[in-house]
Amino acid sequence: MASFGWKRKVGEKVSKSAVQQFEAEAQKAEDDGPSQEEDVDWLHAIKRRREILLEGCAAKSKRLKDEGAQLAEQGRHWEAIKKWDEAIHLTPDNPVLYEMKSQVLTILQEVFPAVKAAEMAVKFRPLWWEGWQTLGRAQLNLGEVDLAVKSFQVAIHICPSERTLWQEDLAWACRLQKQHSATEEKIRQEEETKRQILNAPELEQEYDFESDEVLAACEAVAERQTRYEELKRTAVVVDAEGNIKNVVTGERGSEDTATPSKEKFVKARGL
Amino acid sequence: MFSRNKWAWSSEPQTEEGSQRLFRVILTNYWFLSHDDAIWTAAWGKSEADGTETIVTGSLDDMVKVWKWSDEKLELQWTLEGHQLGVVSVDISHNGAIAASSSLDAHIRLWDLESGKQIKSMDAGPVDAWSVAFSPDSKYIATGSHLGKVNIFGVESGKKEYSLDTRGKFILSIAYSPDGKYLASGAIDGIINIFDIATGKLLHTLEGHAMPIRSLTFSPDSQLLVTASDDGYIKIYDVQHANLAGTLSGHGSWVLNVAFSPDNTHFVSSSSDKSVKVWDASSRACINTFFDHQDQVWSVKYNSTGSKIISAGDDRAIHIYDCPM
Repeated sequence: MASFGWKRKVGEKVSKSAVQQFEAEAQKAEDDGPSQEEDVDWLHAIKRRREILLEGCAAKSKRLKDEGAQLAEQGRHWEAIKKWDEAIHLTPDNPVLYEMKSQVLTILQEVFPAVKAAEMAVKFRPLWWEGWQTLGRAQLNLGEVDLAVKSFQVAIHICPSERTLWQEDLAWACRLQKQHSATEEKIRQEEETKRQILNAPELEQEYDFESDEVLAACEAVAERQTRYEELKRTAVVVDAEGNIKNVVTGERGSEDTATPSKEKFVKARGL
Repeated sequence: MFSRNKWAWSSEPQTEEGSQRLFRVILTNYWFLSHDDAIWTAAWGKSEADGTETIVTGSLDDMVKVWKWSDEKLELQWTLEGHQLGVVSVDISHNGAIAASSSLDAHIRLWDLESGKQIKSMDAGPVDAWSVAFSPDSKYIATGSHLGKVNIFGVESGKKEYSLDTRGKFILSIAYSPDGKYLASGAIDGIINIFDIATGKLLHTLEGHAMPIRSLTFSPDSQLLVTASDDGYIKIYDVQHANLAGTLSGHGSWVLNVAFSPDNTHFVSSSSDKSVKVWDASSRACINTFFDHQDQVWSVKYNSTGSKIISAGDDRAIHIYDCPM
């Protein structure tokens, strides 16, 4: 009988333990070979072996999963991920492995891989609210607030009685979303004022320099400049109730840049 | 607005003893024509004033959309903006003039279907608006809450009028009996409660399922109550005696929605196994299965005559089926 082995190139996609198991199985098959009868029912033998192998995979994956969980609890996060990666090689469609991996990746601040892992979890088990919660949290860490809000909503739609989803996850994500839009609005305002300073509408018309119109125009320009300065110094703050406020930051109050008084202009005109 | 007709026979057209009874998809509105996100809920109503048929859909994209169904076409009539979060449930009043919608932002909104304007917005309090259902006289809206209370809002007043207490868990589903006598609620722990509306008393508590009940519906003659649960079963109860009249299996996953045909002979169910099944109410057999969705089917409804079925789900597609009578 021609010898038959499970010789495969060990790529990085193939876990070492899986290869070892394959080789051990092949070795065993070869050892058993000669002692068996002449006409072996190869078709069924192979089928049976595959079933045994699959069963073995599930059991081994579970063991690796538990080992990984223990490691994670001890704070040995990278080792835990290594265990789970091996388990994923054995049972590539187990959502629990991806979900746990995502949580630990989040702890390790590996934000993008965490989102990827959680996405796999919800792909394999779309009706599992914890998978969506983990995905939402990973998306929040990545800064994808809008996506996180969607994921938390899907989780709530699946399991509305879970209070943490409402009170912590969704509420927090919504507050961030509000803050985000408030910040964007402020940036928009800032740019708008800046644009108006650069080409002020007052400068486009001609003035009689002796009239009060000039004074009014100068005042308007100055006013706008101070507003811009003010905007630059304010920061968007969201308080505990989720209300958004613009707060002036920095040591200097508004006294330094107080609106230039009318007298200054009058003086300038007098010169 | 163009709609795409899909003249395809459903998986296996069923024939029933001699008469040619054919179930088929007559229209498919794909995602690019409907919503930006999963469709969670749909309702089908008929206007008493001019007889036009209206479909209302609600989605995770915070929108409520109103469609006109005429000449076998679906035309978008209004896009109703206002909800801050996903729309969980919609219902149309029995005269076809008003739609109610509830959202994860805990608000129930009432919309005028004629003008597309918001009539009222009611703050139900945090986590206190899930399924909404109009009473048969359309004067009230019932909604479940997380503490097991059924809150009844007045359509006219826009305020909470009274509440019925199940002393149970989060109420996922609500249904009024068409004769106006009973109100049934299904909870997340699988308990069904039936109230007498006139006295406000709890008549029956049924431990029907061990898992969440996402939908329940009365038969048009108010004799039967059909429940759908995450355990994959559909159960039929005799309302008066609170007896279990039948347990139906067939779906491979959670049963998400059930609706009774107005002619009292059939009901339809949708599931997270991506299928829609039509059942015969007397023989309790599945007489047709549609596999037209790519994802979970969250909502299924009959039209006012029972000749059409609408289904919508996570794949953002709206399907309309022809249903032989």
